[in-house]
Amino acid sequence: MASDQIFVGLEIGTTKICVIVSEGRSDGTISILGVGETPSRGVRKGEIVDLGTVTECIREALLDAEEKTNVEIGNVWVAITGAHLRSFNNRGTFILPEDRDLIIPEDLETVETNAKEVALPASNSFLHTIIQSYHVDGNRNVLSPVDMVGSRLEADFHIIHGVKTRIQNTLRCIESLKLGIEDVVLSSLASALVVLTQQQKDLGSLVIDMGGGTTDYLLYLDGAVRHSGVLALGGDHITNDISIGLRLPIARAEVLKIQEGSAADPEEGEGGVITLKNDPGFHGCEIDRRALNTIIHLRVREIFELIRDDIESAGDGILGMLGTGVMITGGCARLPGIASLAEEVFELPVQLTRAKEVGGATQTFENPQFSTAIGLTKYAMAVSAHLQEESFFQRIARGVGGIFQRNRR
Amino acid sequence: MSAEIPRRILVGVGNAGVAVLDRIAIEHPRMKGLMVINNDPESLASSVVTRRITFPQGDAEDGFLAIEQEFGLALGGALSVTFCGGLGGELGSFLLPALVARTKAMGITTLASVGMPFGFEGRQKRELALKAIEKIQGICDAVVVIDNERLSGGAPSMAAIGEAFQIADRTLQASLMALQGMLSSSGPVKITKADLIALTSSSGAMTHFGYGRAEGANRLHEAFETAMKSPLLTLSGKGVKGASLKDVKTVFLLLQGSSDLSFAEVQRAVGEMERAVGEDCKIKVGVHADTSPGAPLEIFILASSGATLPSVKETEEISSSPLKPRKSDASRQHPQTALTGTRGEPESTAPTRTSKPVKANPAKQTQGFLDLNTYQRGRFDKSEPTIVAGEDLDIPTFLRKGIKLGSPQRH
Repeated sequence: MASDQIFVGLEIGTTKICVIVSEGRSDGTISILGVGETPSRGVRKGEIVDLGTVTECIREALLDAEEKTNVEIGNVWVAITGAHLRSFNNRGTFILPEDRDLIIPEDLETVETNAKEVALPASNSFLHTIIQSYHVDGNRNVLSPVDMVGSRLEADFHIIHGVKTRIQNTLRCIESLKLGIEDVVLSSLASALVVLTQQQKDLGSLVIDMGGGTTDYLLYLDGAVRHSGVLALGGDHITNDISIGLRLPIARAEVLKIQEGSAADPEEGEGGVITLKNDPGFHGCEIDRRALNTIIHLRVREIFELIRDDIESAGDGILGMLGTGVMITGGCARLPGIASLAEEVFELPVQLTRAKEVGGATQTFENPQFSTAIGLTKYAMAVSAHLQEESFFQRIARGVGGIFQRNRR
Repeated sequence: MSAEIPRRILVGVGNAGVAVLDRIAIEHPRMKGLMVINNDPESLASSVVTRRITFPQGDAEDGFLAIEQEFGLALGGALSVTFCGGLGGELGSFLLPALVARTKAMGITTLASVGMPFGFEGRQKRELALKAIEKIQGICDAVVVIDNERLSGGAPSMAAIGEAFQIADRTLQASLMALQGMLSSSGPVKITKADLIALTSSSGAMTHFGYGRAEGANRLHEAFETAMKSPLLTLSGKGVKGASLKDVKTVFLLLQGSSDLSFAEVQRAVGEMERAVGEDCKIKVGVHADTSPGAPLEIFILASSGATLPSVKETEEISSSPLKPRKSDASRQHPQTALTGTRGEPESTAPTRTSKPVKANPAKQTQGFLDLNTYQRGRFDKSEPTIVAGEDLDIPTFLRKGIKLGSPQRH
């Protein structure tokens, strides 16, 4: 097995830290060799609040993965999320010099640079610049303009940026473990790579990755990313709501959510009483099922409505153009009733989804909790050819990202 | 000249009054109608307020007669006058009530925000202050009393003495601005003079005051939290934010900020307030969104409940034995502020401590409580809040939407 075909994805989540070790196949698919996992501590809403604790958790997850796969991990692909991440669409334009009418690869870089000529907040840095489409002399949606004849090259990009120091803190944990960082990838971008087929991307899909601390979403249309966002709301908020509403300890509320909770309309679901037994330090009680489901329903509905409103506020009626509909993944996708609630809010077909076109350990790729980490390895496979000669740090050094320069000295 | 007389005038009396008005003049350079009166020429000379009246040294009555005419002329054409000063000293205790009476006699709406002395300033000062309050309350349309002794509970015990006075001045200033804001007619949502009088007309009314100021995306949450954590809104010795509001009958909520203050933010503030007070509490909202763009958001909370200021004896007992169990009286729990109107004569029978253990009325014996409703963010209480459209989404959705849930049945 050639070592350059092994990809390691690291997701530092709010509830768990997981490391996926995958092997790239010649047919473009990946096969999961194993998963290292540990409960997450020191992470809130997808962002690191206790560097030392998180570093220890990452170490545990890495050791777990190495033990299970017998692979020595040297480099990782890292997922990033957090409410500080922002995105927008922008068009770059490049007028070819008069003495040349043939578009060359360097022109694509120039047009990308031009698209990024926007005033970001001083504290922010670019994370991704994702091409949507090229236009040559008004000829729209050109897939590959290199070697075409033209005088005016334009390109639409989806640009994602975030607070530099917050990204750096994530990377510092990994650096301190003497690991190399191949690249940093937006969580929802990684998830979408494995939960959507190319056809679904072309027809139009909204991927919602609802995790413990954040809900990440990404919208594909005509095969390109058109919209993305991160809400610092997730399963932890549902648990917190239950804890406050039903006056239960957090741990009890979490178990209740997983075992009995439903996001379906509480008026239509079953009623009755849930009995919580006595435990040391906890007096048993009886919970009204409708009260529990009301709490969950209201929170999940609100999250979906925020996503819907955010996408609609971007204009163009883009939600109505989605041919495939909404794909929900992440840990919260396992909440009963979540699909019907999403259908009601988005007025679109909804599927609960997980990683596709993936081989290996079934229990891993069937679990929507691992979509992001698996997606990282798929992303790694897709872009590794381009990065072989130009590492993440080199890209930073030439000013594409600029996130990491200070750390690398 | 009369056309130049501002319609609303602020008068600072004595050293405390001058200090507070100086701060206002510096922070609000465009504010008109500031006037200071003091018997300390040095204090007046260094004041940034341009309208100054020197109160002559010597007999207080003679002094008042000497400045009465000048003072009356300065008020000509004013619609309202708000006085500010510390009580217990010569000017606060003798001159301030006289000036209030003079103003009221001119048919002008008269308000006052006054500070009670610290405990270490002595029993005599407090007695003088209580007498002055009685006089002022009998005349003014509304009086806010800031009890510095209670307020000092909010300062670190090792705080420099100057710091304690600064906190007192800042609170006095905030209460003054709150009264001004409530009387202002410039905001889109107003608390009227009638509202203010209605608040003060409740028999034996006592009020509590909180103030918060913040800017940035999370300004509403931060300003509201600061206001609720004000020492004058917390339970004595417990530090439970906003606990004093539990029993109030009426609360005034004033939001003052830049023109980008959104409807959602106002709605959010009212929602927060609804959760902090009891179900039968009336909430009156005032909004002034006319300051310059980028100005910080200021939130003032002024509320009324059924209690009165503690007497000198009570104050001494409270100060000397803070850990002793106290008689369950609202005034014991909230000895800090009082707002009463012309009709709100202070009760002559201020509650006193009995030597016997109190067990006659079990319903009144309430233990200090932990108000869970004030901790609405649960595990996210110390996290960076998730704010969308001015709304703190860490607070459970059902709470923000006001949906009632049944309580779990404990075994």
